[in-house]
Amino acid sequence: MMTNASQITQAGLSSLVEDLRQAGIQVIGPARVTDGAVEYQRLADLSGWTPGVQPRRSLKEWFLPVTEPLFRYRKQGPRVLVEELAPPDAPRVVLGAYPCDAAALPILDAVMGWDYRDDPWFARREATVILSQVCPGGDASCFCTDVGIAPDSAAGADLRMCPIESGWRVQVETGKGEAFLQQWSRHFQPANGSKNPLPPAGPPRSEAPRANPERVRAWIETHFEDPFWQEVALRCHGCGGCAAVCPTCHCFDIVDEPENPVQGARRRNWDTCQTALFTRHASGHNPREDQCGRCRQRVNHKFAIYPARFGRILCTGCGRCARTCPSGQDITEILARIDQWAAGPGGA
Amino acid sequence: MRELRDLARRLLEEGSVQTVLGWEEGPRGARPVFVRRPEEAERLIFDPRCVHNLAAYLSPRRPHLKGLGRIAICVKPCDAKAVAGLIRETQVARDQVVLIGLRCGGVLPDPEGRETLSGETVADRCRGCPDREPRLADHVVGTAAEGFPGPSRRQQKVEELLALSPDDRWRFWQQELARCVRCHACRQVCPLCFCEQCIADKTRPRWVESSAHGRGNLAWHISRAMHLAGRCVDCGECERVCPGGIPLGLLTRRVAKTVGERFGWRPSDDPAVPSPVGTWRPEDPQEFIL
Amino acid sequence: MNVYQPFRVRVEERIDETPDTRTLRLRFLDEEVARNFQFRAGQFGEYSVFGEGECTFCIASSPTRKGYIECSFKTVGKVTTAMKDLEVGDEMGFRGPYGNHFPLDRMEGGNIVFIAGGIGLAPVRCVIWNVLDERNKYRDVMIIHGARSVADLVYKRELEEWGRRPDVRLWTTVDPGGETPDWKGEVGFVPAIVQKAAPAARDAWAIVCGPPIMIQYTLPVLQGLGFPPDRIYTTLENRMKCGIGKCGRCNIGPVYVCKDGPVFTAAELARLPKEF
Repeated sequence: MMTNASQITQAGLSSLVEDLRQAGIQVIGPARVTDGAVEYQRLADLSGWTPGVQPRRSLKEWFLPVTEPLFRYRKQGPRVLVEELAPPDAPRVVLGAYPCDAAALPILDAVMGWDYRDDPWFARREATVILSQVCPGGDASCFCTDVGIAPDSAAGADLRMCPIESGWRVQVETGKGEAFLQQWSRHFQPANGSKNPLPPAGPPRSEAPRANPERVRAWIETHFEDPFWQEVALRCHGCGGCAAVCPTCHCFDIVDEPENPVQGARRRNWDTCQTALFTRHASGHNPREDQCGRCRQRVNHKFAIYPARFGRILCTGCGRCARTCPSGQDITEILARIDQWAAGPGGA
Repeated sequence: MRELRDLARRLLEEGSVQTVLGWEEGPRGARPVFVRRPEEAERLIFDPRCVHNLAAYLSPRRPHLKGLGRIAICVKPCDAKAVAGLIRETQVARDQVVLIGLRCGGVLPDPEGRETLSGETVADRCRGCPDREPRLADHVVGTAAEGFPGPSRRQQKVEELLALSPDDRWRFWQQELARCVRCHACRQVCPLCFCEQCIADKTRPRWVESSAHGRGNLAWHISRAMHLAGRCVDCGECERVCPGGIPLGLLTRRVAKTVGERFGWRPSDDPAVPSPVGTWRPEDPQEFIL
Repeated sequence: MNVYQPFRVRVEERIDETPDTRTLRLRFLDEEVARNFQFRAGQFGEYSVFGEGECTFCIASSPTRKGYIECSFKTVGKVTTAMKDLEVGDEMGFRGPYGNHFPLDRMEGGNIVFIAGGIGLAPVRCVIWNVLDERNKYRDVMIIHGARSVADLVYKRELEEWGRRPDVRLWTTVDPGGETPDWKGEVGFVPAIVQKAAPAARDAWAIVCGPPIMIQYTLPVLQGLGFPPDRIYTTLENRMKCGIGKCGRCNIGPVYVCKDGPVFTAAELARLPKEF
């Protein structure tokens, strides 16, 4: 790599976005929607761009869309023609990904790529350059530092941006980031003292870790039938809002949708383990029969099943699930309680 | 608060109920709590952050709560209307549940609210609410407070939308519903969405496409609003929970407006008031039948 | 072609097993796919009717029979109903084979007891034919099949064929009350018949499939006969969508049934949370 750090002025960033647009590259970034909240959206320019505000939903939907066709079909009498769709590989740039959102992507690469390769996921991954922004600091529900991520984490980012007086300091993190910087070099200037890391981010969101993930995992693995799961599920409505806003919840459904009697598409749609339908057999038998099992499954999958299988916690500590829960369920509280027991006498 | 805690403790101690369902202080403001031991009654709180409509937990769709025994549920006057709705629609038997009514002067828009309750900060649905004193209650606690004058902004917005041309209204809803991810959280938290099998989950035939595209989202939200005709008590939980921030209350309010105008219906805390969708009278308006 | 796009297959034959169970023989449309398609006994696939959706079953035919696959299903849901409505010559979709398989190579030289209840005979039938087509590799073969009633017995023609073979010991049974006046088989629940047939456990393997309640009561009988839990195999049928370890639906504790299963030993199941 020629240089590790560059900088770009706000005006330079604007002209970069304009050039990307001219080149047919989609720019995605946080911006306000009609109800005033911030979400990742397609940006035509920087006028509505809101870096420094955590979007309501994660970046996930730009890689695993809420709904997407997998292929189309057309029936001709007894015959069926299957129409392959072009891979979703249009070039894109995410400008201002939150570190907890960027970090989710390599975590999910593991499940999307083991043994069978999820083609639409990787087509989007490869076609996207991610410029993350150092997090300015969150709220009491944030716990990224508890799960091995930090406000200035580089995980999942090709380039990392940090605000400086004259605009943004930009640090290269991957070869893809380096190539991007070179391709659009006319908008960037070398940073002063290019060897230095990015300026430190704001204070870590949570001062002391609230739970030790290893202990938590050991407890979960040995306490499937613990009455705690009954208790913790009481207030849960099973709405799945937590999964909808989560950067790492990736469960999905596959459905056929006819547009008329002869043609339609097979689609992949977001789904969540919080509903009864998720596991109910056609016979009516449901192995995960109530909300207790569903609450347990979400915690189990994130903090035990996934780490056991893929060596990574399926959580980036973004805190969105706690913020969105209509009944005040808080994952950090659940983890802290588990950790307390696990650390206590008898432990895991 | 003392009065509430003492009552809860007494009900649990004497064994007339096994669970008191109320609110407690959580990590992010007020939240529902299931108090099952007398000494835990001290966890109960009631203040303007207690926005949750707890009636949803009485719905028969929550089998994991069956083991809680007889429940005493804390209700604001508006929540009591949802309980009345469940009783009216034979989902809950009146004698199956103890109602602790809380005198209410309005709540904040969300459970985290740190603001003092005022005409500016009060939840929109409380604007113009005439109910201070819960009537459908076995016990009433708390102090009566003054309410806030209406009309609610949501009601005004319904009128504004109705004044738009159909094309503009269509554009408005297309833009709003585009944020739906079809998580169905709106249904899950709704106290009156009590169907054992929701039309959105039926696959034979598939009435409502499960995909979060224009067709699926429109079909779902219209179906839901229509199914809540004469049921919705305007508690706003659907809107509060929506991870897309869709103003769902506008849809249910719009339907409620028609049900009100045509059938003289208003959400009521009297379970004996007949349900507009559950009754038929010869004089019902029916000019839509060709 | 992405991983979710199925092979196209044509319905070549439809066999009604019972009033609500049907077997479809499916042939791959693409010659090359047909030639190269390989699987092991116990693996499953995602079968689909376009416009209706996908459905998960094991492959019911034997890997020793090339060029086609078969599936047997009960019409309970949307997709199985649509599959029942397909005519010979109609096209549908198939993705697979997925999952693990019965370790037949380990069983070589040993005795095998097949125990199946109802439609649970479908995954077992695949292994039975695999074993019978390579009969000299195995010693004693016993098949115990039970159904609620005589009408509910599946693969009737094959049961007759197995019954006639001198190298197979076949027990068929129906639940009490399910017998007809001319029924010659046993009357009683599967676990009782297993007790009565009393297969020897020495050098033996058991393959058990059927409703959860049957499995629950059959396992202790087998263990009582001396079958160690790691020589008793079964196959799980958790709800699946992707079949390839992504959609998160088939987790049982740490296990992805679609990847680590669907074949498990009784010893493995005993270690899993009871979420199946």
